[in-house]
Amino acid sequence: MWTKPWTMKEGFLIGGGLICAGLMLELSVGPVVWEAFAWPANGVVLAGFLAIIAIIFLLRNKIYACRFIGTYQAAIPTLVYAVVLTIIMGLTRQTVNGTWLNNMLAFWPFVLIYVYMAVILGVVILRRLVHLTGWRRDIPFLLNHLGLFIAMTTATLGNADIQRLKMITVTGESEWRALTQDGAIREMPLAIELKQFIMETYDDGSPKRFASEIHILTKSGKSIQTTVDVNKPVEVDGWKIYQYGYDTQMGAKSRISILELVSDPWLPLVYTGIYMMLAGAVCMFIIGGRKRV
Amino acid sequence: MYVYYRWEETRMTWEHFIYFAIGAVVLWAIGAWAAWKDRTTVAYTTTTLGLLVFFAFILSMWISLERPPLRTMGETRLWYSFFLPLAGLIVYSRWKYKWILSFSTVLALVFICVNLFKPEIHDKTLMPALQSPWFAPHVIVYMFAYAVLGASAVMALYLLFFKKEATDEEFEITDNLVYVGLAFMTIGMLFGALWAKEAWGHYWSWDPKETWAAITWLAYLVYIHYRLLPKHNPRLALWVLILAFILLQMCWWGINYLPSAQGSSVHTYTT
Repeated sequence: MWTKPWTMKEGFLIGGGLICAGLMLELSVGPVVWEAFAWPANGVVLAGFLAIIAIIFLLRNKIYACRFIGTYQAAIPTLVYAVVLTIIMGLTRQTVNGTWLNNMLAFWPFVLIYVYMAVILGVVILRRLVHLTGWRRDIPFLLNHLGLFIAMTTATLGNADIQRLKMITVTGESEWRALTQDGAIREMPLAIELKQFIMETYDDGSPKRFASEIHILTKSGKSIQTTVDVNKPVEVDGWKIYQYGYDTQMGAKSRISILELVSDPWLPLVYTGIYMMLAGAVCMFIIGGRKRV
Repeated sequence: MYVYYRWEETRMTWEHFIYFAIGAVVLWAIGAWAAWKDRTTVAYTTTTLGLLVFFAFILSMWISLERPPLRTMGETRLWYSFFLPLAGLIVYSRWKYKWILSFSTVLALVFICVNLFKPEIHDKTLMPALQSPWFAPHVIVYMFAYAVLGASAVMALYLLFFKKEATDEEFEITDNLVYVGLAFMTIGMLFGALWAKEAWGHYWSWDPKETWAAITWLAYLVYIHYRLLPKHNPRLALWVLILAFILLQMCWWGINYLPSAQGSSVHTYTT
């Protein structure tokens, strides 16, 4: 044990160490407070995180542990831990106010393992960029690994900047206030007037379509007549407007339509990662598991 | 309304399934036999014809239901039975494994039998949340991935319990199946994320189905990376593959029975 070169055993021990550290953090400081990562904190954390990855990569020839991070022996145990922790998450009921296993996303051991996975990804990507082996193998590799890295990190850090508000609109009235998830009232940079709520049903009475004909006025001076359907949100000034609910007691005669307004400034970055992974998956299909050198 | 009445009369229902199923299976079986005998042209032709017969049923169901048949378990099994021989045909055309068509035919037959003997009640309506251009690609791509990964799991069982000593070539087949299956699984998962953004306002909400999709995806990554590790234990790799396929079952239908997922998943459409 701990004789070089390290094997998967050391990899599992490092992961186990991270889980122990996570448990101690959970006991001492409580769950991860993701709300604290709102801009600009998440920008600072991202910059710091990238710097740490770069430092680990640069120290790879000086410190053995830094070199080890970029190996299969480090990656495989981390993936196994991620699988196990996520299985536990899948088997336990998750609630926003839950603690420990009932709120896995804020549970330190879970978070640390995924962060470590991102560090490994980062180091492996840097090493590949420095030692390219030919575009046929490098491009799929980078699309898959860098795509996942970008999607994972920006989705996680950007989460605190997501705003989701409910706007209750009434036929013929203009509304510019919306409710936050905590129930607080916020004034929005746009006003919406509900022209008509539309509900269509199948012959057996089950719902077929929910939609709202609306008129949007923005602070920037835009005036838009449009229809918001389930699955067809409308985008205005960085806000996506979704059909969310209606007065269920009134049904098709509802004079109320509840719209959800979502703003996610990090979305373009997350989508960059997702599209890279999609391209990487296409490469993976074309190349298959063909013999590697 | 005379025209409407006639239309009702000629509607495709599950009662007609058995005729299409028998036709398709017979054609696929001839194709499988031809592959063993190295009669490639016959194998291609009959397997393709079988797929056309089977797809004709799916298409008529699609028209009769006035929505893609992708919602109930029975309907997704329909696609699974369709994609198994299709995946078999693609693998056959690429790597010329003689056994692959027999194998895909048998598996397709299993799912056809499940649909014949344990059909689930299928209704016609499609709730608004499912009315999206993403719906069909999301589910179809996933079903294809499940079919190919199912093939890799059977390969692993065969190598672990019947063959004992796996050759490099047999391992290459298994790896190829996993890479192709994982590629499709990744596409299905990401299509799901892009759709979720349009439907529910967020691309990933750790809904129980999403959580299990992540688990399955990571488990296959374990296999792929472990296989790349120099001096690994090949039998352990095969066990990982079987375990990954068990996790996949959990993701596919197991969560419907999972207490922790009850009432909190947007992927359970039973009302």
